[in-house]
Amino acid sequence: MIDFSIYGEKQAEVNALKCPNCGTLYYPAPMVCAKCHTRRDPSAVFFTPWEQVPLGGRCKLLSWTRVYALPEGYNVKFLNFGVVAFENGLKASVRLEVDDPKTGMELVAEPGVTTERAGKQIYGLFARLPG
Amino acid sequence: MRKVAIVGIGHTGFGNLSEFDLVDVMGFAACSALQDAGVLQERRLVEQLLVSNMCGGIINHQTGIASALVSRLGMEPAMAELVENGPASGASAVKLAVMAIASGLADTALVVGGELMRAVTGWIGTDAVATLLHPQAEYDLGLTLPAFGGIFTRMYMERYGLTERELAMVAVKDHENAAKNPWAHVRVPCTLEAIHDGENADVVNNYVAEPLRLYGMCPVSDGAAALLLCALDSPKMKHFQGKPPVLISGIGAATDRHCVHERQDPLRLEAVRLSAERAYAMAGLGPKDICFAELHDAFVILEIAISEEVGFFERGKAREGIVRGETRIDGRIPLNTSGGLKAKGHPVGATGVSQIYELVKQLRGEAEKGRQVKDPRHGLAVNFGGFGNNVVSTICSRINL
Repeated sequence: MIDFSIYGEKQAEVNALKCPNCGTLYYPAPMVCAKCHTRRDPSAVFFTPWEQVPLGGRCKLLSWTRVYALPEGYNVKFLNFGVVAFENGLKASVRLEVDDPKTGMELVAEPGVTTERAGKQIYGLFARLPG
Repeated sequence: MRKVAIVGIGHTGFGNLSEFDLVDVMGFAACSALQDAGVLQERRLVEQLLVSNMCGGIINHQTGIASALVSRLGMEPAMAELVENGPASGASAVKLAVMAIASGLADTALVVGGELMRAVTGWIGTDAVATLLHPQAEYDLGLTLPAFGGIFTRMYMERYGLTERELAMVAVKDHENAAKNPWAHVRVPCTLEAIHDGENADVVNNYVAEPLRLYGMCPVSDGAAALLLCALDSPKMKHFQGKPPVLISGIGAATDRHCVHERQDPLRLEAVRLSAERAYAMAGLGPKDICFAELHDAFVILEIAISEEVGFFERGKAREGIVRGETRIDGRIPLNTSGGLKAKGHPVGATGVSQIYELVKQLRGEAEKGRQVKDPRHGLAVNFGGFGNNVVSTICSRINL
């Protein structure tokens, strides 16, 4: 008997990274902190790992588009995308789940599954109206 | 630094060449450049071959393209390398050829840019180009280059008051130029009535990435272009008796943050501005000296935004120049005389080479009737990689021998 429970769905997550020396937040993370030049080590073997900080929450829509020419693997008529600014100053590109987007509108972003490739779920940020 | 001249140019038609082999298409353009320089039979004069291509490995399932091309041309033992820098691969290859010649590593270099993108569906082609985006922060969302074109256009329109009609005017101008260019992919003029003002315009010119419409975007094209370069002080110059040489008087490149959202102001194309400043400094010229320009208008908004970053217009004012006709062939600063990416087409790896091909055509006075700029001395090409994160600007100048 095969125990399928070991293949349970992973929690969707998108993380910013925090420099362990000066605390600057990045999304996505560089290899060297732009402020204090502390190195990031993806293996966490040689240098202090950078803290993962979940990215999401309240944000403001800076610009957006509705795209009808989608790449391979997206079998929908269109998708909305936007760029948002979070309250902590970080910005991110997001999948926009709003019927009538307006630049400047307040949104809430949270991670979700954007697509699936070779049996692997791919995560990204989705922004929606609050509440 | 040694001065480098373009002594031969070659081009294929842009369009659907998917029935042909990628290396054959590049080889055709290369032979045309050698023939233009009068050295097809003496092609072993070429010491360095640089090939620009972005998607051959993904779309055409072919790698080692430079090695294949040097052999197909019978130009062994020339040095041969592939240059991949996204949509700026072409001008990057030219820059590396200039570096090779200026350093003394070689006296002659052949640059060949080519791409066959229509061998696959639009979905796969769009996906192939989108692989240049940040893998997790952008690509994984399903974002594409047209999506960033749409986001950028909306930002620009909301900040500067640009209208969809003004965007359509850029497309009409580009199509008018392309209609007179025998190499252009879309050689069909269009009218404002058809794509904006008329009652059926929404159908003819539908949204692709709002607020960008079909006529605001370049087609997916196949094609190749080639340039033969030589040091002006080289004794080999005596072999190139075909056409008057054109000087690469300035070339500069610059980079910006990979992710669009990481930029302080996503509307500022810093890499465009810096690359142009570097090219101007090398040439000892400024924006007012440039007589015409090929600007990387994969989306028509980019012709507008780039024309401001390189100093042809104040920020937010290019739209006024468009309305006054300043960017037309007979205007103050003709832009995309070839038809631009918008209508000439955009075989990604070929584009930067093709832009410089157009500079040479204009500076030689060889452009077709109706799209020849009057007595140009200096032309600028801006080849825009990623969504502005890697840009190469090139200035070519007429040599008064």
